[in-house]
Amino acid sequence: MSGRPPPAFEDAIAGQRVDLGLLRRLLGWLVPERRGLALSGLLVLVTAFFQVILPVILSVVVIDHLLLGEVSPAAPDLGLIALTESLAGATGASPLLMACALYATCQLAIGIAGHGHRMLLISAVVSALARLREAVFLKLLRQPAAFWDKVSVGRVTTRVTNDVEALYELLRSLGTFLGEIVPFFVALGIMLSADVPLTLALLAFAPILGALSLAFRRAMRNVYRRARESLSWLNQQMQENLAGLTVVQLYGREAENLSRYQATNGENRRDEMRALALETFYGALTDSLSNLALALTLFLGARALGAEADGLTLGTVVLFTRYIDLLFQPLAALGEQYNLLFRAMASGERIFQALDWPSLQKEPETPAALPPRLAGALRFEHLSFAYDPGTPVLKDLTLCVPARSTLAIVGPTGSGKSTLIRLLSRLYTVNPGQLFIDDVDVTEIHSRELRRRIGVVLQDFHVFAGTVLDNITLGDPAITREKAEAAAATVGADGFINALPQGFDTVLAERGRNLSQGQRQLLAFARVLATDPEILVLDEATASIDSETEAEIQAALKRLRADRTTVIIAHRLATIVDADQVLVLVNGTQEALGPLAAVLTDSPTYARMHRLQFEDPEALEDA
Amino acid sequence: MEAGRLRRLLPWAFRHRGWIGYSLLAFAGSRLLEASVPLMMAEAIDRLAAGTFDVTGPVLAIVGAVLLRMAVVSSARIAIRRAAVNVAFDLRRALFDRLQRQGVAFFGQHTVGDMMTRAVSDIGVLRRLVSVGTIFLVILVYATAVGFGAMFYLAPDLAWLVFPPLPFIAVYALFAARSMRAASEATQETLGVVTERAQETFGGIRTLQAMAREPFVEARFGDANRAYIQAFLNQARINSLMTAIMPSLAAIGTLIVLGYGGSLVQQGALSPGSLVAFFAYVAMVIQPMRSAGTLVNMVQRGRVSAQRLFEILDLPDEIADTGTHQTPRIDGALHFGAVTTRYARAPQPALCDLELTVAPGEVIALMGPVGAGKSTLLALLPRLLEPSAGTITLDGTALADWPLVRLRQALALVPQDAFLFADELGENLSYDQPDRPEPTILQAAGAAAFRQTVERLPEGLDTRVGERGLTLSGGQRQRATLTRGLIREAPVLLLDDCFAAVDTHTEAQILDGLFDARQGKTTIFVTHRSATAQRADRIAVLEDGALTALGTHAVLAQGDGWYARLAMRQGTA
Repeated sequence: MSGRPPPAFEDAIAGQRVDLGLLRRLLGWLVPERRGLALSGLLVLVTAFFQVILPVILSVVVIDHLLLGEVSPAAPDLGLIALTESLAGATGASPLLMACALYATCQLAIGIAGHGHRMLLISAVVSALARLREAVFLKLLRQPAAFWDKVSVGRVTTRVTNDVEALYELLRSLGTFLGEIVPFFVALGIMLSADVPLTLALLAFAPILGALSLAFRRAMRNVYRRARESLSWLNQQMQENLAGLTVVQLYGREAENLSRYQATNGENRRDEMRALALETFYGALTDSLSNLALALTLFLGARALGAEADGLTLGTVVLFTRYIDLLFQPLAALGEQYNLLFRAMASGERIFQALDWPSLQKEPETPAALPPRLAGALRFEHLSFAYDPGTPVLKDLTLCVPARSTLAIVGPTGSGKSTLIRLLSRLYTVNPGQLFIDDVDVTEIHSRELRRRIGVVLQDFHVFAGTVLDNITLGDPAITREKAEAAAATVGADGFINALPQGFDTVLAERGRNLSQGQRQLLAFARVLATDPEILVLDEATASIDSETEAEIQAALKRLRADRTTVIIAHRLATIVDADQVLVLVNGTQEALGPLAAVLTDSPTYARMHRLQFEDPEALEDA
Repeated sequence: MEAGRLRRLLPWAFRHRGWIGYSLLAFAGSRLLEASVPLMMAEAIDRLAAGTFDVTGPVLAIVGAVLLRMAVVSSARIAIRRAAVNVAFDLRRALFDRLQRQGVAFFGQHTVGDMMTRAVSDIGVLRRLVSVGTIFLVILVYATAVGFGAMFYLAPDLAWLVFPPLPFIAVYALFAARSMRAASEATQETLGVVTERAQETFGGIRTLQAMAREPFVEARFGDANRAYIQAFLNQARINSLMTAIMPSLAAIGTLIVLGYGGSLVQQGALSPGSLVAFFAYVAMVIQPMRSAGTLVNMVQRGRVSAQRLFEILDLPDEIADTGTHQTPRIDGALHFGAVTTRYARAPQPALCDLELTVAPGEVIALMGPVGAGKSTLLALLPRLLEPSAGTITLDGTALADWPLVRLRQALALVPQDAFLFADELGENLSYDQPDRPEPTILQAAGAAAFRQTVERLPEGLDTRVGERGLTLSGGQRQRATLTRGLIREAPVLLLDDCFAAVDTHTEAQILDGLFDARQGKTTIFVTHRSATAQRADRIAVLEDGALTALGTHAVLAQGDGWYARLAMRQGTA
């Protein structure tokens, strides 16, 4: 009955086709780096030139000319024999020594030019991708709440990291491939000019190698994917088992779970064995091919020498044997390229999908100018809202929150409380004419301006890597250290902060692990208070906190609300009691509105909730 | 001591000695076959130089040697890789088994994430060490021996001259590998920061957007991105330099052969074929030198991984299962005798000198402030934890004298944390016995007020929950875990605050059914509501690890202790 979950959707569709438009778009990001790329391309040619003449020195100059004294008229020496001789004449050293010196110079030139080519190429690619990564990040950062409600943080992070990395592999290998394909053609030209039949015979290996390489990679793709999947399932099983180990032990499932784990372990071993057999066979085949080509060269070369048909020399035969690698390397790499291309296509698709995501956030063309300090009166005029057309979440709300008063919103889960808060801070946009602040329609206000005026305390305090101070100011230059410390003192967070090893400069551990629930709540208050907003919007934490902390939080909340319009999604009786008005939301409609006493009699929903809460000691201890 | 860690791997490799032994032999054979090719090539070239144009013999010999080598080397590589896959397979099983025998104490000090790193990356490192490491080592040793053997056979004078540049190559390879390793660590680290920045940004996107503080993370991400690019380019530079310098160093060998060997040929002391073959052997000796550095890195990483892995595999079972007590029937009498429990690194004991006797069939409500030791007390009974001092008995027999499986069957604990496995719902509900019939499972779900929820699901018990499945609410999860405990119909039921996310009405309904069905069976439950506690035979109050009150509601509510104050506030006094 139990089993492996189905693979994620994206795994299944990854890279089924090569999209040229996508590739062109990707290459477009390289355009600003064109100078570096051009120079890198030039250096490839230089490298290729020296790579090609290196074997010529060995075979034509040394073996044919210097050692055997017979040079074939067909074998091109590229003027190297003359160069060697004139150098020897000029320096008085032996021609053999000069040939060695030439050889060393070429090798050095290959090293230097090759290094230059690689670094220029990598720098260009990496810079382009750094810009792409930053663009994706900025785009995502500006995505409206509607986007973030539908995606998981993990998946999105993958686009910024892994997907961009996959593109690097592709672009880098394309560059390297160019670096190999140039010597391929130069060598081919020289070989053809030296001996056509021998060259053609060697070329017969090319399609075999190319086809093998492609076929192998294609086969490997599936085998590897299966191995990857079984490994990931294997790890997931262990992770789950450790996460729920107490349950495993209490229910005596150790033996059963071990045997299930072993089944997957065995499955993974089978997949791995299949992959390694295929891989090994292919590896051995490709590195044998060049030796087989060598045998063929010797055989055909010998026959040509014997026939004296076109004056093929021993040096030419040696030259051919040396060129074999230049000829075969790019072909063997073909399959790898093919795989990278597919992998990168999938990543590119995901990245550009993120970049092309429509921004739903609309800003007013001529934003209203707000006074330096708002009074903070809120007015809802027949406010209705739906995430998906046809399923309204809020229906026809009409109410006023006078400046500096407090509105508590209560209601069962799914009644639209959180949506109301999101509309206030324009995380979602309302229709014009439905929501006003100091009689200004919120749709007339730029969202950035609006969010400066409305401070939102979310249920969960998100800790960013950095110090306590960083987490209060969030890098806002307008919030000085003094302001931040004052805000912390106002909400009563200064006590525990000063008790930390470095006070406000203490670096908070990963995700704020070293903070208690109550401390996080107080920091969340301080963070918002530091911006001194005119309107405070608060989603009260539901988690149960011990009574002492609860008292501290209630006290902080009181100070926070002083002189500020406040809208609170309330979970605690104490909060509700202190509110000027209570709004009971049921299924997006207003069931009752007014002071607590009135709501208790008007709203059956609230009356029931009130009764239940009264029986809950956690909510009552400080009431 | 570090080398000792790696030696610990030997017995695991020894189990697959057949594969490993075969591969060592086969690698030697394939190396000899490979070395024979240049010799035959030399023979062919010399025949050509001498004006004999029949090279069919040597050419056929080359083809034969190449094909044979292909078969031999493939089998050798497959053999060693099989051994490595098998070592990983065995290690994984051992680790899984070993970790299942650890418990609350161990995981109080180690995270699941840390253990997963050991399972995934440390075993991966060791697997690579067995396969790739062996291959590198074998190549290094065999290629050097065979290559030099052949060179000395062809031209001893020339062979000596190949030695001097080798130390430089080896030293550079080691140096490059070391800087490579540091650079790649820096790259990994900076990439980790980029990921972390992206994660914290997207995780806190609501805060950032609500407060219009996007600029805060923009700069941070930009910095991280640049630092990563810097590290990446640095690594690329080291890599590229290595690619440039290695062949240049190797060229020294080629040059010596070309210069001195060429003059030997001119003097007629060496055949042209031998010279060409010599080049091939120089390459054979130098090629593996280049990977020497990588090999050293692998061995170093292997040591660290072996240490991390065997540290876990060497752990004893956290709870010793040596009990042999047998009985057909369990009444459910419990006794705590002077029990003290202390967590590692905690200044105060969690439970102090606790004395408590529970009669068979009694219902006890366990109460007290947060952190008083309620969960600790319950965890002691199925031996998730061992007391630091004192003894606990079930039906008069010390817990340690019961076989662990029998004990845990008898004492069904439903923990506070409503953990469900990412699996089918039915599997989760009938976790102790995966093959229970559906009606039995549904009946238990009914007792936990969970049956309606299950029946409303389109796929019922086959519904997958958790990741990539249905997300249940807190209350639903709690009722699911309650079902999982009730289904065992154990003689002793222990409920650790299982109704916190369930509304009071449902809680009352569940308890009604529970007390009805469990007439005569022992039950201990933790609660924060005095209305619920009233329904127990006795109420036990824990404060700061000590039992401060024990008695019926009527008696305790009359007193002036913690419980009386609570009852007063909750209106049940």
